[in-house]
Amino acid sequence: MSYNWGVLSSFAQPIEIATDAWSMLWMFPLLLAIAIVYKATKMRILSGGRFVKEVAILFGTISGFMVFLGVTLTILVKVITE
Amino acid sequence: MATEKQIDRGLHLVVVGLAAWAIPGAGHLLIKERGRAIIIFVTITATFLIGLYVGSIRVIDPIGARPWYMAQMLTSPAVGLIGHASQTATTRERGRRDVSYGRPNDMGQIYTSVAGLLNLFSVLSAVYMAYCGRGEMIGEERNVV
Repeated sequence: MSYNWGVLSSFAQPIEIATDAWSMLWMFPLLLAIAIVYKATKMRILSGGRFVKEVAILFGTISGFMVFLGVTLTILVKVITE
Repeated sequence: MATEKQIDRGLHLVVVGLAAWAIPGAGHLLIKERGRAIIIFVTITATFLIGLYVGSIRVIDPIGARPWYMAQMLTSPAVGLIGHASQTATTRERGRRDVSYGRPNDMGQIYTSVAGLLNLFSVLSAVYMAYCGRGEMIGEERNVV
């Protein structure tokens, strides 16, 4: 007997994600969500332009640090293993 | 002994906290922070749905991935219903419990769990803002000495 998923049918099967370096790009939407919610809860007064600017700065900072960390760890692994 | 005002205030904080847990952003909506409420609702819901889309609803696994499930439950109590639907549907369909594997499962679990943790953050924010006096109190505002 097949189960009728209805509107959930799009969520019944996982999508394909290769296990390669490109899959790391999936972290950026998550970092954006974290930056948006953090700034939405922390800013005393929410104003459109200022909010976007603050989110962009936080997103850039976290993303930059994550990329820096990734590059540093990759170099470290190469130095140790080669 | 707690005064009526203190009880009203405590009840208000509880209601704000529960609303914020039930629907992301609803706590901020109750304290008249509509802009924040919309931003929080859209962002957390989108993050959670992206997680479900990437890893399928089997990333919500109350049996095989309990720690992740606890974080996912912070998004909303409705996640429990999705978890139940996921478990019963797959069992009924094939006579066994399906699970999601590999990178899509990792991504799905991370996205849905981070959505839950972000909602915990927004619950604390809404309760704190309510405690600081933003929005209106429920019940009568009376000075009881």
